Amino acid sequence: MRTYLLIDTSTSRTSVAIVGDNKTIFLSHHDGALSHGEALPKLVAEGLKVQSSIDEVIVGMGPGTFTGLRVGISFAQSFAFARGIKLTGVCSLDAIARGIPDEDFFVAIDARRKEIFYARYTEGVRVGEPKVCQPVQLENLNVPIFGEASNQFPDPVAFVSIAESGATYTQPIYVRRPDAYPAPVGVKFRPMTQLDLVPAFAIEKSSYGHEAWTMAQFKEEFAGKERMYVVAEKAGELIAYAGVVNLAGTADVLTVTVADGYRRKGIGRELLRRLIDWSRTQKCEAIMLEVRVGNEEAIPLYESFGFIEISRRKDYYGPGKPAIVMRKELV
Amino acid sequence: MKNSDALVLGIETSCDETAVGIVSGRKLLANVISSSVEEHARFGGVVPEIASRAHLEAMQGVIAKALSDARLSIKDIDAFAVTAGPGLIGALLVGTSSAAGLALALEKPLYGVNHLSAHIAVDSLDSDHKLDPAIALLVSGGHSSILQVNDLTSDVKTLGSTIDDAAGEAFDKIARILELGFPGGPAIDKDAKAGDPDAIDFPRGLTLARDLIDHKYDFSFSGLKTAVSRYLIKTPDHIRADVSASFQEAVVDVLLKKAIGAAQETGIETLIIAGGVAANSRLRALAQERASKAGIMLRIPPLNLCTDNGAMVAAMGSLAVAKGLAPSELGFEANSSSGITKPIF
Ligand SMILES: [Zn+2]
Repeated sequence: MRTYLLIDTSTSRTSVAIVGDNKTIFLSHHDGALSHGEALPKLVAEGLKVQSSIDEVIVGMGPGTFTGLRVGISFAQSFAFARGIKLTGVCSLDAIARGIPDEDFFVAIDARRKEIFYARYTEGVRVGEPKVCQPVQLENLNVPIFGEASNQFPDPVAFVSIAESGATYTQPIYVRRPDAYPAPVGVKFRPMTQLDLVPAFAIEKSSYGHEAWTMAQFKEEFAGKERMYVVAEKAGELIAYAGVVNLAGTADVLTVTVADGYRRKGIGRELLRRLIDWSRTQKCEAIMLEVRVGNEEAIPLYESFGFIEISRRKDYYGPGKPAIVMRKELV
Repeated sequence: MKNSDALVLGIETSCDETAVGIVSGRKLLANVISSSVEEHARFGGVVPEIASRAHLEAMQGVIAKALSDARLSIKDIDAFAVTAGPGLIGALLVGTSSAAGLALALEKPLYGVNHLSAHIAVDSLDSDHKLDPAIALLVSGGHSSILQVNDLTSDVKTLGSTIDDAAGEAFDKIARILELGFPGGPAIDKDAKAGDPDAIDFPRGLTLARDLIDHKYDFSFSGLKTAVSRYLIKTPDHIRADVSASFQEAVVDVLLKKAIGAAQETGIETLIIAGGVAANSRLRALAQERASKAGIMLRIPPLNLCTDNGAMVAAMGSLAVAKGLAPSELGFEANSSSGITKPIF
């Protein structure tokens, strides 16, 4: 039988266990959201006093608060490398779910900024990858929620069977993009004016081809009531635009369009942030948007802001081109 | 192991460089650096979360490369050293946790070392000169200070430091205004080569008689930054290279005036210039000129060891081992703002 060193630092709890011969030889933890770095070496040293020969390290890959998560993963990687033994990563939420007998439930842990990382489990199996949202969004669904809020933490002993089941990860499960992206250098953001319509329309056409709005639609959308448009420009050239409308207390994102060559530079993120800020000033209770199924650039961006999928619309972008409808609460 | 030639592996992750160095005593065996600076260049500064993610991604590869460069196995290492502060806390923790994993796995001592001390300790490598006492001018993106190094591993006094921006920070900010890109130090250094350092008389912060009463060895670069901005607005047809050269001259002039002044006043005859800004070509040239005039022995580490690296951390660890100092306690706390008074954690 193999002897496992098991480590989890994804929540405010730092947990260490050693399991051998299907028996828990050592199990200990330390509570403190900011002290993973100090707690982990001490806990592991205690465990090694009980059992110093280890065959494999299994570490919780998250999701979790970024800094704590990296303490566990970097420690585990180095330990396994120095000993020349195998390292396996598993999803930390799975190790909370293991102890729960319900048929259908959520597991959720604190993600800071008033959000939670969560995953849904039906009949003991996780449905999809972990995501992030506001607690109220899960509470509205009337499905039981287990996790950090009810004092349930990943049980590292469960890592052994999770790893054996093959649900393993080689990279940290961050879910959110880095939240500290500052505004892109040299890019100016300002409200859109009539004068921007022509260059903006050029970006619209080259971005969406025959699905683009016509110039007439474009003007009409721009001139409508209760809405806000913002543009980004670099060296005097228009490179992106975005708009949002307040529909009776719910904000609806009209467009976020960044010119080819300027994507993946944090410009869309900055535009979206402005749309959300404006919607808050309008006292909107939520903000919604549609995004094409499979849009691998936009969906993670929206998720990183806490948007979650609430429904799908068939043929939204034309026949056979469905949209995901996403929503973020603003209260 | 003989303490004087112990194999020490050092890890550095305080900012945007993931770096590992290996030394045997004072001999440098490997120095591997992976930088996420290109990622940060898009934002004009280091983004902590991006840096921390990059550290974790790069760490194992950098350790493996350093060992292979040194033709060693991890099991050969006698002691580990790691930067414990100052620096970005999330970035530091990737390094300290990696180092703790290695040290615990192999049951070897671990030294948490001060990043600033390590910048000076790198001067010990590949030579056997006496390190201390010395005056150290430590200039980088995060720090600008003048230190009195009585004993590098236990007794370092801060004589003065910047009261606002660090010298490297000033370079970054001016480079941004001049649209020279990030990081600003090398960009201005290069641009200044075609300019006249005496073209514009930019102010030398904290050098007036009344400043010297309270701030004899302190620096201030924020006034200089304002002066450059004002000059650019008032002089639309300015020559950029002249601005770069004159700005650089103002920074370098003050740094050296105060550092050499400290050496003369304390009677300490060695001046070490360390930190990223020590890579600046004008600082190196003018330091040489002024130190020899003042009869001061000048030491500046090789260019590639001035910016953040793992060799400096290994060098600092190695000095601690050679002195027979106790390793750091298990789970020592990384400290983002630790001063130089704590060389070993
Ligand atoms: Zn440094």
